[in-house]
Amino acid sequence: MSSTASLDIADLIARCALRDRAAFRDLYTRTSAKLFGVTLRILKDRSEAEEALQEVYVKIWQRADRYVAGGYSPISWLVAVARNHSLDVLRARKPVSDDIDLVLDLADDGPDPEQATIDSSERTRIDGCLDELESDKADCVRGAYLDGYTYEELATRHRVPLNTMRTWLRRSLLKLRECLSA
Amino acid sequence: MSTEGHSGGREDDQVLVAEYALGLLEASERAALARRIAAEPGLASDLRLWRSRLATLDDEFAEVAAPSGVLPRIENRLFGATAAVSGGWWNSLALWRGLTAAAAAVAVVAIGVNLLQPRVDPSVLATQLVAAIQAQEGSGVEFVALYDQASGQVRITSLKGTPVPDKDFELWYIKGAEPAVSMGVIPVDERLEIPLDAAAKAGIEPGTVLAVTLEQKGGSPTGVAQGPIVAVGTITPI
Repeated sequence: MSSTASLDIADLIARCALRDRAAFRDLYTRTSAKLFGVTLRILKDRSEAEEALQEVYVKIWQRADRYVAGGYSPISWLVAVARNHSLDVLRARKPVSDDIDLVLDLADDGPDPEQATIDSSERTRIDGCLDELESDKADCVRGAYLDGYTYEELATRHRVPLNTMRTWLRRSLLKLRECLSA
Repeated sequence: MSTEGHSGGREDDQVLVAEYALGLLEASERAALARRIAAEPGLASDLRLWRSRLATLDDEFAEVAAPSGVLPRIENRLFGATAAVSGGWWNSLALWRGLTAAAAAVAVVAIGVNLLQPRVDPSVLATQLVAAIQAQEGSGVEFVALYDQASGQVRITSLKGTPVPDKDFELWYIKGAEPAVSMGVIPVDERLEIPLDAAAKAGIEPGTVLAVTLEQKGGSPTGVAQGPIVAVGTITPI
């Protein structure tokens, strides 16, 4: 294990593609608290979140080679796997589709070095752009991303009709997009 | 935005992609949009923008220590019964052998969707399996591997790359969940034929991953890859 101690997360993922079990264990040790945080926040149930965490790391092991070919920042890629899986579980009451897998495939399509690093200025930028929205609406965007809320849940939480919520959020997303790509 | 007119189409698409990135679409809408994204580069780049920007919110996921029992269960599942790794019909060696015997089937491996397809000599395709082992992280190292089942040899040809002083490139195959197995040190400026032992012959099939790492002179002394991965390719039938 000491041989992997100096490697960064990207290297550990690459090692997983080479079926290096010590690297996998190290990757788990370093990232599982973050990914458990993701599954727990979205699923809001400890045993479901634990189950999901297990599935997430199985996927990471099986798909590590796809990460190698892609350009996601390593921790974002891991969070995306955990978030997509959790959303899949959350929506499982609805007709099952495999497009969450497709989402991951698309995420991995081709190198995109610009995405490889997300610096603090980008962090400031999305915060700044969210601040430009009314706080209710910024909360909806955060709720959808971080908690996996659907339009229905957001409407209930903010006590507005479903159609109003749709209109709100869609307008907010356009504003946000304009701000983020400026 | 209103200055762009009210055609609606473009704005509608922008909203759809954002909803897709957030996970707000119904399953059927998501599936339909996923197909469009795969076909329309403009939508795909919009999605990348949303993903990278939204990923900056990832900080807000608080870390929570995972229960201690999870890792052993994962390891047991992945390594306890190694055969349980997801596969498909192409992982059936028996079926594959049947197909090749019957129809002289040809497989090409391609990885790295945005990279150029390997220039493979058509006469070479008459053999069995082909792997394009494409460069990673700008290493500039690329190989084509051809496996001829009749002779039991892998012929590895260097397409790009230059030797690294005091280092050697080492070729590995990775099958399912099993650890990488070395196929030896390979040159970057010539063609090399590697005879395979019985285990390797059974290991080389569609779905097997070939990888090249940069190792100390003479290759990794431990039998486990130690250096960075410079090229990877998966054997996939077309």
